[in-house]
Amino acid sequence: MAAPCPPPPPDPQFVLRGTQSPVHALHFWEGAQAQGHPVLFSGSQSGLVHVWSLQTRRAVTTLDGHGGQCVTWLQMLPQGHQLLSQGRDLKLCLWDLAEGRNAVVDSVRLESVGFCRSSILAGGQPRWMLAVPGKGSDEVQILEMPSKTSVCALKPKADAKLGMPMCLRLWQADCNSRPLLLAGYEDGSVALWDVSEQKVCSHIACHKEPVMDLDFDSQKARGISGSAGKALAVWSLDGQQALQVRGTHELTNPGIAEITIRPDRKILATAGWDHRIRVFHWRTMQPLAVLAFHSAAVQCVAFAADGLLAAGSKDQRISLWSLYPRA
Amino acid sequence: MAVFDTPEEAFGVLRPVCVQLTKTQTVENVEHLQTRLQAVSDSALQELQQYILFPLRFTLKTPGPKRERLIQSVVECLTFVLSSTCVKEQELLQELFSELSACLYSPSSQKPAAVSEELKLAVIQGLSTLMHSAYGDIILTFYEPSILPRLGFAISLLLGLAEQEKSKQIKIAALKCLQVLLLQCDCQDHPRSLDELEQKQLGDLFASFLPGISTALTRVITGDFKQGHSIVVSSLKIFYKTVSFIMADEQLKRISKVHAKPAVEHRVAELMVHREADWVKNTGDKLTILIKKIIECVSVHPHWKVRLELVELVEDLLLKCSQSLVECAGPLLKALVGLVNDESSEVQAQCNKVLRHFADQRVVVGSKALADILSESLHSLATSLPRLMNSQDDQGKFSTLSLLLGYLKLLGPKINFVLNSLAHLQRLSKALIQVLELDVADIKIVEERRWNSDDLNASPKTSATQPWNHIQRRYFHFFTDERIFMLLRQVCQLLGYYGNLYLLVDHFMELYRQSVVYRKQAAMILNELVTGAAGLEVENLHEKHIKTNPEELREIVTSILEEYTSQENWYLVTYLETEEMGEELMMEHPGLQAITSGEHTCQVTSFLAFSKPSPTICSMNSNIWQICIQLEGIGQFAYALGKDFCLLLMSVLYPVMEKAGDQTLLISQVATSTMMNICHACGYNSLQHLINQNSDYLVNGISLNLRHLSLHPHTPKVLEVMLRNSDANLLPLVADVVQDVLATLDQFYDKRAASFVSVLHALMAALGEQSVSPKVDENDTHPDVEPPLPLQIQIAMDVMERCIHLLSDKNLQIRLKVLDVLDLCVVVLQSHKNQLLPLAHRAWPSLVHRLTRDAPLAVLRAFKVLRTLGSKCGDFLRSRFCKDVLPKLAGSLVTQAPISARAGPVYSHTLAFKLQLAVLQGLGPLCERLDLGEGDLNKVADACLIYLSAKQPVKLQEAARSVFLHLMKVDPDSTWFLLNELYCPMQFTPPHPSLHPVQLRGASGQQNLYTANVLHLLTELQ
Repeated sequence: MAAPCPPPPPDPQFVLRGTQSPVHALHFWEGAQAQGHPVLFSGSQSGLVHVWSLQTRRAVTTLDGHGGQCVTWLQMLPQGHQLLSQGRDLKLCLWDLAEGRNAVVDSVRLESVGFCRSSILAGGQPRWMLAVPGKGSDEVQILEMPSKTSVCALKPKADAKLGMPMCLRLWQADCNSRPLLLAGYEDGSVALWDVSEQKVCSHIACHKEPVMDLDFDSQKARGISGSAGKALAVWSLDGQQALQVRGTHELTNPGIAEITIRPDRKILATAGWDHRIRVFHWRTMQPLAVLAFHSAAVQCVAFAADGLLAAGSKDQRISLWSLYPRA
Repeated sequence: MAVFDTPEEAFGVLRPVCVQLTKTQTVENVEHLQTRLQAVSDSALQELQQYILFPLRFTLKTPGPKRERLIQSVVECLTFVLSSTCVKEQELLQELFSELSACLYSPSSQKPAAVSEELKLAVIQGLSTLMHSAYGDIILTFYEPSILPRLGFAISLLLGLAEQEKSKQIKIAALKCLQVLLLQCDCQDHPRSLDELEQKQLGDLFASFLPGISTALTRVITGDFKQGHSIVVSSLKIFYKTVSFIMADEQLKRISKVHAKPAVEHRVAELMVHREADWVKNTGDKLTILIKKIIECVSVHPHWKVRLELVELVEDLLLKCSQSLVECAGPLLKALVGLVNDESSEVQAQCNKVLRHFADQRVVVGSKALADILSESLHSLATSLPRLMNSQDDQGKFSTLSLLLGYLKLLGPKINFVLNSLAHLQRLSKALIQVLELDVADIKIVEERRWNSDDLNASPKTSATQPWNHIQRRYFHFFTDERIFMLLRQVCQLLGYYGNLYLLVDHFMELYRQSVVYRKQAAMILNELVTGAAGLEVENLHEKHIKTNPEELREIVTSILEEYTSQENWYLVTYLETEEMGEELMMEHPGLQAITSGEHTCQVTSFLAFSKPSPTICSMNSNIWQICIQLEGIGQFAYALGKDFCLLLMSVLYPVMEKAGDQTLLISQVATSTMMNICHACGYNSLQHLINQNSDYLVNGISLNLRHLSLHPHTPKVLEVMLRNSDANLLPLVADVVQDVLATLDQFYDKRAASFVSVLHALMAALGEQSVSPKVDENDTHPDVEPPLPLQIQIAMDVMERCIHLLSDKNLQIRLKVLDVLDLCVVVLQSHKNQLLPLAHRAWPSLVHRLTRDAPLAVLRAFKVLRTLGSKCGDFLRSRFCKDVLPKLAGSLVTQAPISARAGPVYSHTLAFKLQLAVLQGLGPLCERLDLGEGDLNKVADACLIYLSAKQPVKLQEAARSVFLHLMKVDPDSTWFLLNELYCPMQFTPPHPSLHPVQLRGASGQQNLYTANVLHLLTELQ
């Protein structure tokens, strides 16, 4: 008798179709649970934001606010049913989604055409902080929201030659400590900024190619970054706020578009230009799965609070995966 | 009528006859009196009542033997007087009562006197009338202890008559009279209802007679069925009214413990009964025996009115005597419950009314005792159920299950006490599973195949009132009566309605998983549990019962569906796989197909099944039924959830549609009707609508299943059906899934090309129909940027690309289908020459191969493709055709012609003949379409000309003629010339002598081999 057949490659739990345009940004929103089930936002190259019901697996509505220009970043605010969307039209829109509304209530003008996604630092308070690519090509602009007051511009020293910021992550150790910003740069380095003092605390070169995305686990003080090259880099932050490279992980194909650690910090997923989603164990960085489904570059990955993984691709599909469900 | 209104006048008239009667007591004198009485008004009669009664009573009292006839007339006259007057004195009432009763008394024996039936009837009526004539409350004073002996005498007299008389009329009259004596008369004449004290006094009095009345009536009731139902009905009525009056819990609870000595003479006191606890207990025990006897006999009484009265009996006794007759409660409830499914609708209705009344009054639920008794009964029924289902015949099963159903109805939510006991749940489920075992020996089911894959064009029928109730007729091992199946379904539905659904579903899911022997039955039960839980079928007797909430029900249904549609329960072997993909599948995944042979209890083939591991007919049948039951379940779930079911379509629609395309007729029928049920439940007006609106879910299933094609070989079928039912709106979705199809095709060229090619065919056919291209916004187009190609053009290009590869597949069927697809691709791409031509160019070598070196069928199809291609891009094709194809075809026609000319009739079966025919048939239309130049036309004509010879097989001649018919359209003159060269039917004389005479080669005037065909063609030319 033949040897037992190997388990079939994992399949997506389901696939959302209908963006009719490459998908560039994904974001789950659990807050909609009151109205039934969690919602998934997707931003497409054609400038639309689709709002997907995960219960019916259909688009509930679309938000059109970027004049046909690619939507690159989506983020819900922790309060008030408000969604932020960043577009290549140099606009950051704030949408009010409460009670079925879907209107732009405010917008921020961006100064940079780059690929850099923005980042927010928001707690329960009405005031929150926003980091966006700044006016100068190497600058990061910090704004206080919702007043849109400019707090500062973080500009590397003239001789640093970091290039453009490629990805940003605002965070703070606890709600009383100072806000910090992790930024990945075009030259392949990651820098830690102290926002209030506007100075670089630490700076490491971890990639040869531009850093495409990074994520940071503030509890373990450990982060991971992916680049246009063939490696993932894991780095950590010591008590003196100094970054240290912990290790790198070689990939078979170059190019990571987004990297996301699951909210329970057990696993992480990467969106690969090689059409594949890769899943790693976060503590050990052991590769767990290579998910092959898409027929073009995967451009974004996102996790829901219940562990559901979503990946958006240039092939216009969004695949949803239920992996290693948490007990 | 009354002539004498005043007492004076009346007296004057009546006196002589009264005196006369007193003197001489003859029948004539009595009749005389009665005639006179007719003329006296009621008021006058009342005044003279005593006076008139005197001679009559005197006659009765005169000692010595009397003629019966005289007594009878006296009694009748007396009755007449009493019917028109009132008796106002208690004494008179009692005296008349005694005197009348005495008429039937025979001092010599204990039995009623042996008198004529007429006299008996007269006396009985007299007594009845007397009791009705009692004025106002006089009647109550009549029932004093001192009357006991006389009343007792009358009662036993009447009971004797009711029991022993032959005449039905007398029996009925005696029973009526008994009712009157026991104050149960239901006529209008009786005054107010009794107060508590009066009730108690009467109860005390009647209690003395209870043993006599109850035993005598029991004998009557349980007597011969032939005695007529009205006697049994009256006896039953008297029985339960008497019992429920004397044994009423209300009365008994007020009886004091101490027995107050009544002030009556000793003889009477002995007769009196004190209804204290001991007496109640003893009497209750005795009554229980009688009541059980009655129930046993009456519940199967052939007349429905008798059974109806039994329902009344149960109601009355349970409502009034549930404590005093507590021992009876079990049998009484059982009797009631057993009649719930009576064949008479009146009895059924009354039963349900009583059950509802009990529920409203919380008789069962509110009374712990009754609930306990019922639970106990259900327990014991559950215990014996497996045995009963095994041993009883259909009728026996029917009544047992009716009983079960009744208990469930009556207990309502309290059935959970029984279900919570694992032992009892197991018994109950064992019995249900056992009795629901299907007979799967029917060989037809496996054999009936669905050959044509018609479109799904049925629309949901809305005529049926309870569509969830319609299921496929099936056959059972242990019963044949359809009603039993209905009962079983109701039982399961009630369980689902009142029972703990989680518990039940868990239990039956466990059985479902446990063994293939239980699986079908467990699925049937699960289906009904859910139907019941949704309350679709169930008439709720328990107002306060809360149905399973929709959210929970949906969760439960989801979990059942997951199990039903899982790989091992949905993809079962239903036919011996001899088709293309079968064996490969079995080899790759030996464990996946649940072949149930050997395990199945099928006597006929069990030996076979044991010796050979191949699935037997029985196990395939069993598999078919399992799939059908699961499909029906899905339909039932849809009704149970209504619109909520829409949320499950994402996981359910795909598998159901897969089965709608199944080869087994039964499965495909049931699946189609399941889809209609879904339409109906979810509010879609047709199957197309359903498919169209949920194509995204289907596409999801299709695309994921294409990834594991060997596990899901039917996926292309589903896509095909979807494509056939989709419209232009779905183009983006279709385009998306087509990418998956093509990718999979690229992976499985060798193995599954056939099924894919048919999908591509359906796809291109659909695109061809919707070939209206989506509008391109003019403002959007930039002059320097090429607008993106419409989706259907992109798809057609991708498909055509694959066709090029598949054109040289080694399977002829596939090549044929590919040629069809190619044809459709060309149609869709016709407006996009820039895309079409390069592809056509690449397809060309293969196409030439088909035309010149393939089977005749392929040659014909290839010609068709060339024709289509020719009409779209003639220039492109013309030179290539003339260069690459025409010489070869013409050459082979010419070389082959002498052979076919010599051949015998067998030749038409050869490949060579078929090829010749195909080429000849194909050439004509193509030449016309391609607009060939003269030289090439001549080449065609030259090659075909020889086939106009009469020596050629007729079919080839016909085909050759058709070539020339087409050529005529392109170039009529040269064709005419050519034909005339062969044979010229007439001489052409020049219109003027100076002109050269025309010399045509065929003008020899001699007939030749070509004459017939040429003449034929020339007539066409004119």
